[in-house]
Amino acid sequence: MKARMFAMLYPISTFAIILLAWEGIVDVLALPVFYIPAPTQIALALYRGFDVYMSHLWTTMYCTFVAFAIALVLGVAFGALVSESRFAERTLLPVMVALQSMPRIALAPLILVWFGFGPTSKIVLGALTAFFPLFLNMAHGLRTADPDQIALMRSIRGNRVQIFWMIKLPTALPFLFAGMQIGVILAMLAVIVGEFLGANRGMGFLINTESNQMDTAGVFAGIFILSAVGVLCHNGVQYLRDRLLFWSASHEITGSTL
Amino acid sequence: MAAAALHLADRAQAAMDRGGTTPLIELHGVTKTYRTLDKRSYIAISPVTLAIKEGEFLSIVGPSGCGKTSLLNIMSGLIQPTSGEIRFHDQLLSGPSAEISLVFQRPVLLPWRNIIDNVLLPAQVMKLRPWDFYVNKARELLALVGLQDFGNAYPRELSGGMQQRASIARALITDSRALLMDEPFAALDAMTREEMNLELMRIWSLTGRTVVFVTHNIAEAVLLSDRIAVMTAGPGTLRDIITVDLARPRSLSLLGEPRFGTMVDHVRTLLESQPNRGAGDIARVVTSETIE
Repeated sequence: MKARMFAMLYPISTFAIILLAWEGIVDVLALPVFYIPAPTQIALALYRGFDVYMSHLWTTMYCTFVAFAIALVLGVAFGALVSESRFAERTLLPVMVALQSMPRIALAPLILVWFGFGPTSKIVLGALTAFFPLFLNMAHGLRTADPDQIALMRSIRGNRVQIFWMIKLPTALPFLFAGMQIGVILAMLAVIVGEFLGANRGMGFLINTESNQMDTAGVFAGIFILSAVGVLCHNGVQYLRDRLLFWSASHEITGSTL
Repeated sequence: MAAAALHLADRAQAAMDRGGTTPLIELHGVTKTYRTLDKRSYIAISPVTLAIKEGEFLSIVGPSGCGKTSLLNIMSGLIQPTSGEIRFHDQLLSGPSAEISLVFQRPVLLPWRNIIDNVLLPAQVMKLRPWDFYVNKARELLALVGLQDFGNAYPRELSGGMQQRASIARALITDSRALLMDEPFAALDAMTREEMNLELMRIWSLTGRTVVFVTHNIAEAVLLSDRIAVMTAGPGTLRDIITVDLARPRSLSLLGEPRFGTMVDHVRTLLESQPNRGAGDIARVVTSETIE
């Protein structure tokens, strides 16, 4: 515990030095506040508008989590389907791979037209974006099951369902968690983009409005909050992973872009 | 512990009462041909006929590529022979059976289960009841293989030798009659290997299982076996079966004795006298036309 606290000192001091340099440069060059605010001005904006930020953050996080949950359920279901059924693999997988290479954020205006300016459009966009890393990691994870473990299961007369639950699923979990770590961030990103384009609530909406009002310090404060929440989500999944998948070393992340 | 040993000794006695000399596994003209990616056929095993007696310890030795692992997998029902038949206790074997358990070259423990749950896996998969009975039996078996203190440990916390012991305990959890072992100690260092050989002889004498033991280590085969089936490659076939008439119980001191050396030399000579040696890899690959 003490060693971990100590290890935290390194990134914290890096961060502190960057902030100090930032403050110094803005001060010396006398840059206008609407162009780039000093860290102290950002902190002030954050402090003054805290309640407003929290209320909009709530909207964004609500959409993010609902979107992520939908993507998780669909990703796991389709991943399992594609890896277990030869027919599904042949029919679905090529379509999925084609969709995966499409920039899904580009669909945002269309989704706004279809689902309106409320939270539904943000949830749809978020779920669509987070789906692919979850789906691909699940499908890939199920396929990496050890052939010897499957041979063992067959030798003890294990059926397909038992092989799936007792071998393939536990093998896939570390991959799924890697997908979740990316997926939760992507869902949040997509929700914010959706809010940029058309909304009357949420962090994306708030940042956009502040930007239009030349409140650059406010924009930075919003970005700071979103970064903090992003780190929290990522580490939350990591924590769950470490607790649940104690047997497994960290896995390489099979990623997906927007 | 004492109760456990007693229980197992009863089983050994029961196995002897069942006959001891009647064949448990019979192979009649078993062959295996694999098709390679470029559509050619590869004869892994040319006809093998072999009878394994109930309660005996039979080793299969041979060079790599002689089809000994294929032959073991056929005996376990995991793969089907191309032709010929396998009878297990006078019944035609058509797939994996609860009467046969396998020990692989690697321990193949599931890393997300602790050792006792790994040992219980076959009982769980086969839905054996009453569950409490098998939990107790798993504890007895862990004691038998010297892992009584590691039931709650996870596989990665154990050394290679300990993991292989756990996998042997897992193979013994069901009331199987035959234990098929595919080079189970090949990945272990020489010292651990000798220790495991002694361990296996002890377990075999206590449990009364029929053991088929695949190895490429001649000394190991001579030390452990009642009989040794010598296989040669090109294509894989049974060259000879040798009876090892060394008295039991055997110990490692046997390794230094002249009659042990003679036996090992005899097996080695058989292995080296294979007809197609050197040309083996070419001889084994035949076009599909010649097969059909």
